[in-house]
Amino acid sequence: MTERTFNRVSPLQDVALQGRFGADKGAVGVSFTVRHPMSIVTVIARAGQGAATAAALKGHDAQWAGSDQWFVLAENRGEGALYRELKAKLGGLASVSDQSHGRVIIRLVGPRARAVLAKGTPVDLHPDAFPVGKSALTQMAHVGVHLTRVGADSYDVSVFRGFSESFWEWITEQAEEFGYQVI
Amino acid sequence: MLIPCPHCGTRPVEEFTFLGDAAPTRPTTNDPSSMEAWYEYVYLRNNPRGPIEEYAHHSGGCRSWLVVSRNTETHEVFGAVTARDFSKAKEAKA
Amino acid sequence: MTSYRLDKGGLIDRSTALRFTFDGALHVGHQGDTLASALLANGVTLMGRSFKYHRPRSVITAGAAEPNALVELREGGRKEANTRATMVELYDGLVSKSQNNWPSLDFDVGAITSLASSVFVAGFYYKTFMWPKSFWEKIYEPIIRRAAGLGTASKLPDPDKYEKSYAHCDVLVIGSGPTGLMAALAAARSGKRVILADEGSALGGSLLNEQEEIGGQSGLDFARGVIAELSSMPNVTLLPRTTIIGWFDGNIFGAVERVSDHLRVPDPYEPRQRYWKIHARRAVLAAGAEERPVAFGGNDMPGVMTATAMRTYANRYAAAAGRSVVVFGGNDSIYRTARVLKSHGIHVEAIVDSRKESKADAAGIPVLRGALVADAVGGKAVKSVHLADGTHINCEAVAMSGGWSPIVNLACHRGKKPVWDANLLAFLPPDNGPAFTVAGSAAGKMLLSECLADGAAKGAVDGKAIEIPKSRDEAFAISPLWWVKESHDKAFIDYQNDSTAKDLPLAAREGYSDVELAKRYTTTGMATDQGKLGNINAIAILAEATGRTMDEVGTTTFRPFYTPVSFGAFTGPFTGHHFQPVRKTPLHDWAEEQGAVFVETGLWMRSSWFPREGEDWLASASREVLATRGAVGICDVSTLGKIDVQGKDAGQFLDKLYCNTFSTLAVGKARYGLMLREDGIVYDDGTTSRLAEDHYVMTTTTANAAKVMAQMEFAHQALFPDLDVTYVSVTEQWAQMAVAGPKARPTLQKLMDGLVMTDESVPYMAALEVSIMGGIPARLFRLSFSGEHAYELAVPADYGSMVARAVMQAGDEFGITPYGVEALSIMRIEKGHVAGGELNGTTTAGDLGMGKMVSTKKDFIGRMMAQREGLIDPNRQQVVGIRPVDPADRIRSGAHILKQDDTPSMANDQGYITGVAWSPMLDMWVGLALLANGRARHGEIVQAWDGLRGHRLMAEICDPMHFDKENKRLHA
Repeated sequence: MTERTFNRVSPLQDVALQGRFGADKGAVGVSFTVRHPMSIVTVIARAGQGAATAAALKGHDAQWAGSDQWFVLAENRGEGALYRELKAKLGGLASVSDQSHGRVIIRLVGPRARAVLAKGTPVDLHPDAFPVGKSALTQMAHVGVHLTRVGADSYDVSVFRGFSESFWEWITEQAEEFGYQVI
Repeated sequence: MLIPCPHCGTRPVEEFTFLGDAAPTRPTTNDPSSMEAWYEYVYLRNNPRGPIEEYAHHSGGCRSWLVVSRNTETHEVFGAVTARDFSKAKEAKA
Repeated sequence: MTSYRLDKGGLIDRSTALRFTFDGALHVGHQGDTLASALLANGVTLMGRSFKYHRPRSVITAGAAEPNALVELREGGRKEANTRATMVELYDGLVSKSQNNWPSLDFDVGAITSLASSVFVAGFYYKTFMWPKSFWEKIYEPIIRRAAGLGTASKLPDPDKYEKSYAHCDVLVIGSGPTGLMAALAAARSGKRVILADEGSALGGSLLNEQEEIGGQSGLDFARGVIAELSSMPNVTLLPRTTIIGWFDGNIFGAVERVSDHLRVPDPYEPRQRYWKIHARRAVLAAGAEERPVAFGGNDMPGVMTATAMRTYANRYAAAAGRSVVVFGGNDSIYRTARVLKSHGIHVEAIVDSRKESKADAAGIPVLRGALVADAVGGKAVKSVHLADGTHINCEAVAMSGGWSPIVNLACHRGKKPVWDANLLAFLPPDNGPAFTVAGSAAGKMLLSECLADGAAKGAVDGKAIEIPKSRDEAFAISPLWWVKESHDKAFIDYQNDSTAKDLPLAAREGYSDVELAKRYTTTGMATDQGKLGNINAIAILAEATGRTMDEVGTTTFRPFYTPVSFGAFTGPFTGHHFQPVRKTPLHDWAEEQGAVFVETGLWMRSSWFPREGEDWLASASREVLATRGAVGICDVSTLGKIDVQGKDAGQFLDKLYCNTFSTLAVGKARYGLMLREDGIVYDDGTTSRLAEDHYVMTTTTANAAKVMAQMEFAHQALFPDLDVTYVSVTEQWAQMAVAGPKARPTLQKLMDGLVMTDESVPYMAALEVSIMGGIPARLFRLSFSGEHAYELAVPADYGSMVARAVMQAGDEFGITPYGVEALSIMRIEKGHVAGGELNGTTTAGDLGMGKMVSTKKDFIGRMMAQREGLIDPNRQQVVGIRPVDPADRIRSGAHILKQDDTPSMANDQGYITGVAWSPMLDMWVGLALLANGRARHGEIVQAWDGLRGHRLMAEICDPMHFDKENKRLHA
């Protein structure tokens, strides 16, 4: 099946404007990127199929998202393509739901990214406690978030689409003291 | 107060929603003679001073229902298991 | 002028000149000053008036416990009342004002209460303003409130930012004096994550205030060395200007960092204050000890202060309290005080030692042994002291020391009580286990060497010791000294509340001898300082008055917060626009283009109506209804909760959740479902569709979406864990629009890829996965809330506005009209569909007219309890329609229903109107109501009585379905 794409409109299109903001203390503390468009699929293992599902997801960018649940991510895929692929692959093992349009992923990179996130989440982000590749479900600024450490100084924060604008305003304001840029 | 979520690790109580005593078990019959048992299940709860096992929903985290055991007097938290494991253990005992 | 700036010394930068005002008068201080030290240095000793007697007051302390020197800081929206001048770092341009005086601090009319003070004893208010009862609210309380109270609040918005943050550490050290520094150093050198917090403007604690010798250098140099080492370590976070305000369950500490309070205006990108929640594996409290005043006459007079405060002002701030000083106390530290003052060139008239002997070094200063200061004499400033034996000594200041109280507050925040030590004359912290230890003078270690060693030991990780530097100890010996009963003037125990030593025996005599009752009767230990200085003295006097020991009397309860906290710190950034998050639907942009007026529904912003030029909400909503029923309308219904339910047992699971059956639903079809609570009351409703054998999509009401999800999670995980089912919210994945009206089908047909829409291909209650606009995956449901031939079309959210625009274009030839929740509500009332007003947590399926939906063939949540007698009583209130007898009348939501001839009373109440709407189709107001035995009463004429609006009219009860009873339009 060919993968078709359509012009997807990010909910942050008019909000996440490129540029440099906040305090000017030399190098920016944090850089923000809106990862859009993304393919995001929820995979939930059926009864007793947790390990088998995890094994079947090898090779995918699968982030832990609860007990026997994952968000599987991909860039540059056609509309519904990742969903259909996983549905076909995991039939009987797991339930698959497309969330590509339902969640917005914001990437934070920089030496102060951790300090910005600590203003929202009670999760201990010290590398010993939250190493690269680890994900957490938590809350920031009254919004449920899925948080993943993707590098030593970089994190992905995923929120429900409807909250994304409000969340963006909050998180960028928290970064003002360090100086930030939107890429 | 910190709750040790079996899925997420230790998290503060603000991320949880408590439902109360986990001791009552939902009756398995709809026979009219079981009404008294249903009434007790729906309405009657102990309010102990001391240890209690309570349902808590990790609503601000992984969204799992847990059973947290804690002491109402000292606020000491002894531990938490998933509601699923708790139910199955209860079932096995009964 | 009595107080003054010393010529040299102090940790102040004399090269700076910071201009500030106090009550409008301009003064100059230096970098490193507090407002209190700068005022003293400028000869200003009168800093406030007391709460009850309006007595002139100055500083008693040099720190956090200050009860007297409370001032208003700054102006406009930045004004802050009741700020302790001892904790305010001076900055250029600081504006401060005294409080609780009129017309001026110097001449305060309120001081007249002092003359009548014999009547203002403890319990005065309780006794005096009892009668007549009606006077309390209108006369007494307003007068008392005007006379009492301290500063005034600004009513302007605070222009500054506040912030919250979490922190985690292995070891939290609270206090950075000698003990805290050693504890932090010991912990930090082991590589553990350490946070060192101190409420002071700089780290160092008492080492900044005292002349000490540690490791062959001055205490100050020692502190600087340790701080330099700590700040070079990546595992250490230093938090000066940060007060730990509470110790909470789970070893979580609340802390307030005063990020910008020392600046005239905060940096635009910095907060004024930051509230920290610190999760600490282990904490060491090294908060030090508070020096106690002595209760003698006039111990509140400007010029009288604790000995530690007087040393601190001299050593750290180069400010002298007076040119000549009497030092008074019952322990060895008074000798040290005298020596320190002498070293600064301040003349010490005498050391008045309540004890007969002491081995401490008086350095040639006259010592009066076994002597007591009975009264300070003066007025707005000390002029002399009278001793109990009649001796008179001229002086300008009095340094007093009753002993030390370890600052155990945090150690007691989780319920344990401190323990009295009769040798140290101090309440020591309780044992809280290894996760919270107390070190140094906070734990009763009264010698510097003990503090250094104790800090190092308590901070050490896994017993890894660090070297303890040698230090010089001051003598420590103490005898009880609480209250000099020979005094003539008032001897204050609690300065802030103006409670005196005599009030406590009075409270005991009147039956309030329990320490908690005595506190409330005398007000000792209340208000912003929470008895930091006075409580132990109060306990001692109460013990003596009642023949009990200190332990028997015990302390009052220590509660957070250690010191007052601004509301801003707790609120953080969540004010105004950020009070709560805003949730926007994927069709928000489209709705905005269409001129929608939005309404907050929970967190969601929903399009409420789409007014045209000159229309109000009702005109707009009425037009939207007419257009929809006349041709076609489009409405954003994306906020409805959407839950993907999958798995082998999905149908069985839904059968447990709903009172009706879903396992029998055909693939490709939708069904209306009703969910009960376990007690048999209706919980939520919505349509649920079956997309595949093992795949359903449930919809919930907007309001209950999150609650239903939690209920499902509970039902599965706690009640029916063996079911093989999964569920996840997909609410945000889909933009969903209702397209309703006689032209709905031809409108949507234009978007379909291949599908020919007929009653056969898309029958009523169909639920299909389709493709639109050349490949966009969509879901098409033939559902109707409006009663029209209608569909709901769901598309992936990012396409929402684009598809809505396409639908508008497709329906253009029919005059398609966007409609909002107001029009939706009108149409549902016209059709008698229940919503929030009827699904209100008190109604059963039977009440809603859906009794027949309730299955008797299966178990489901609420089944048993729904059968109870009271829940199936035919006289329960049931949903009915209601309309005014005179079509020109307007019925009102909330009006109660009475029988035609009854007078309004609780007994005659028959029910009430749950919702009304102006029906453009019927040209009149129609409504829904809950009415006792209502279904049997269609056609009855009743009164609709609206006591709130003073309105009564005659109305007719009817079928809830006001419009198109035969549902012809639905299937048209």
